[in-house]
Amino acid sequence: MSDDMNDPFKALGQTNVPDARAEAKARARTAGMAAFAAANSEQSKKIQSSAQGSQWRRRLMSIVPSLKGNWIMDMRLPIGTAAIALLVLPLGYQLYSSTSMTPAATPTAVEQAATREPKAATETATTVPAAAPQIAPTDERKEAVVAPPAVTLPITPQQQAAAPAAPAPMADQEMADMAQSPQGLGNSAVLMRAPGLVAESEALYMPAPMPSMVARPNEPSGDQFTRFDEQRLKAVADEPVSTFSIDVDTASYSYVRRQLEDGSLPEPDAVRIEELINYFPYDYAGPTSGDVPFQPSIAVYPTPWNPKTQLLHIGIKGYVPAAGEDKPNNLVFLIDTSGSMDEPDKLPLLKRAFGLLVDQLSGNDTVSIVVYAGSAGVVLEPMVATEKARILAALDQLSAGGSTAGAEGIALAYKLAEQAKIVGGTNRVILATDGDFNVGIDEPEALEDFIKAKRDGGVTLSVLGFGRGNLDDATMQALAQNGNGNASYISNFREAQKVLVEEGGSTLEMIAKDVKVQVEFNPAMVSEYRLIGYETRALNREDFNNDKVDAGDIGAGHTVTAIYEITPVGSGAELVEPLRYGAAAPVAATDVGDEIAFLKMRYKLPDEDVSQLIELAVTPELVHGDIADISDDMRFAAAVAAFGQKLKGSDYGDISWADIRALAQSGRGADESGYRAEFIQLIGDAAILKPDSPIQK
Amino acid sequence: MYAPVMGLTAAAPIDHAAALTRALVARAQNGDAEAFGELIEDHYDLIHRTAWKWCGNRSDAEDIAQDVCVKLGGAISGFDGRSAFSSWVYRITLNAVRDMQRARGRRAKYAEAYAHVSPEDVPAEQEEAATSSQLWAAVRTLPEKQRDSVLLVYAEELSHAAAADIMGCKEATVSWHIFEARKTLRGLL
Repeated sequence: MSDDMNDPFKALGQTNVPDARAEAKARARTAGMAAFAAANSEQSKKIQSSAQGSQWRRRLMSIVPSLKGNWIMDMRLPIGTAAIALLVLPLGYQLYSSTSMTPAATPTAVEQAATREPKAATETATTVPAAAPQIAPTDERKEAVVAPPAVTLPITPQQQAAAPAAPAPMADQEMADMAQSPQGLGNSAVLMRAPGLVAESEALYMPAPMPSMVARPNEPSGDQFTRFDEQRLKAVADEPVSTFSIDVDTASYSYVRRQLEDGSLPEPDAVRIEELINYFPYDYAGPTSGDVPFQPSIAVYPTPWNPKTQLLHIGIKGYVPAAGEDKPNNLVFLIDTSGSMDEPDKLPLLKRAFGLLVDQLSGNDTVSIVVYAGSAGVVLEPMVATEKARILAALDQLSAGGSTAGAEGIALAYKLAEQAKIVGGTNRVILATDGDFNVGIDEPEALEDFIKAKRDGGVTLSVLGFGRGNLDDATMQALAQNGNGNASYISNFREAQKVLVEEGGSTLEMIAKDVKVQVEFNPAMVSEYRLIGYETRALNREDFNNDKVDAGDIGAGHTVTAIYEITPVGSGAELVEPLRYGAAAPVAATDVGDEIAFLKMRYKLPDEDVSQLIELAVTPELVHGDIADISDDMRFAAAVAAFGQKLKGSDYGDISWADIRALAQSGRGADESGYRAEFIQLIGDAAILKPDSPIQK
Repeated sequence: MYAPVMGLTAAAPIDHAAALTRALVARAQNGDAEAFGELIEDHYDLIHRTAWKWCGNRSDAEDIAQDVCVKLGGAISGFDGRSAFSSWVYRITLNAVRDMQRARGRRAKYAEAYAHVSPEDVPAEQEEAATSSQLWAAVRTLPEKQRDSVLLVYAEELSHAAAADIMGCKEATVSWHIFEARKTLRGLL
């Protein structure tokens, strides 16, 4: 390598360094002699506590902060740490991969384990001081082992070899050496006397020797998601009734899209299929008046990923009020301005997003702004939305800084909302954050209760998530659900436009609340069924008629889609074995004929507490023999469902990316907003990141 | 081309100078100030030269050299002779360089200087021109370990083994750092 004639570094050897100046040399010599004299006199007096005189002492103190990276002389400190870390990190990884700990929580656990270990080692160390005579020949020297003066202590080549910067194989070798030699262990234990420093340096050094940890397919993103298991297949004979709450959120799709576009697979828990499906606007037939706020559209068609089963597609479209009905809005922006918001895709995007929203508002709307970070404060008292310049100026002034420790942030926001409350209008707090929900109420439950109480008082809450890495999706969803609002993830300006402008009406104006869906399957026609998505929205059967049980809300013009995969009786695709002794014959009060299922939906009008019921039978007339016969919208939704299942690594369904793409293409329709074209692009991204298994062509 | 140099490692030679150094060290460790003064006298040029190469300017080099002398004065009694005295001095010098650069955040400045050579960077002295060429600037922007490896092996013309001794790592690690450095600077040189 060094014989390479083109070696660029060779020129370094031909450099002439100017000779040292005599004055400088003399000065340095004098200073050195003084230090030497000071050290010597101290030594001769055997006063070790202030070994080298005050000047020497100070110089050493100054390198303490850089000790962790000062490896040339101090690598003996991390030797033991390297050993411990090699033990602890795989253990931590094992713990990580074999328990249900959430990704976000795990690093902390590993860290704690790592810091605890050195402490244990420290205790051992005190019992084996004799094991390190080479390093600390005298009592007086012992201090030097721990303290910065270690810089000046010699190191054996063997110890040097264990420098943590060494590549993994060497570290492993060293590890083995140490395990074999009790003295080596003793040394390492003694050297671990400064656990704090050790832990720090370990954090710095250890990631490199563990490449196996880096190469995991789904690296935890730092964002937190509620864990859930996929909806399982159910036998109609066992559980003929399926109940769930509708969900109009779309946060999952934006998040998944962003992950895929950045070239990484989203965590399975981040993929909520119903949110993927509901992200897209569908042109279902809507109701004509506000008396019945929504109307279902139903179709049964063959499953694209399983020729023997069918999909029961339930589409709901919310009533769209005529343009003349302008309901007044009272909005309070509660904005996180903590230091972490200081990124282009957070606060600056948030400002532009709210600018868009303000543009949509009219003279009978009011806007106020509250910020939280360090301290909560009112930036803008409730103001008529026509004062756009002043509102935008207030938004513009916001800047990120400080930690998120805003006391009373949310209380303040609600106070303003109540102060400017509009009876008969929409009163809503819109919380915009990158994940720090430390808004003054510490326990999440207390916060949820607070939001619930305020919701019952007429003020709702929507949550807009920004950025990535810190996003606490679980809390975001929980707060928005308790606040009867929406949770949206704003990944870019386009998304802001979709959520706040195109869907501005539905995001703001609720037309029905606590919407629950219950489907009863006819065991004579359907043997098994499975609801796709809605895992986090499942309700108990008895909850359906209980008006006290909260459920999802639907806004003006919202579309909601739910898809069941059903196995017709006698199709041969049954996965559940029939019972040997058979089930009790169902007692049908009426002649059900050849109905496939019976759909019931409950909802409450915005100002009512008693639910209304919509009922509809799924009759054979709704069954289509060919997927080409159904509407583009339904085909597209089926493609999105297939995409979500494949992306999650679902237990059900087996379809290639190319087939999903073809199906999505066929259902693309007019696609005025371009969302569907974008989705088709996304299928390509996903196909690259998670290639089809070789069996699928 | 470095094969002949290989024999002259800083750690191995049993020659006159080394024997003299060992004697001086032993005397200094026994409290002989004159011997220590002689050691400084002998090694100041090495320290200064190293500091200069690592920093690229006189004032920093002199500051560091003085700092190292002070450190030697305090620490020589702890020197146990397991590596060559010169290796030990190198080590202390490199640490002093690192401390200073970290303390002052000089590296950022060098990186910036490397990014665009502005008129004020035109060296005042002839010698400075030699150490502020593009190559030197590039090497000084390397990560510390890579920089140390490259400079010890190429600028100080030490063997990989001697550099490893100074840096407190294995010989292979030094070679690896140099390899990495070459990779880092590929396209820049």
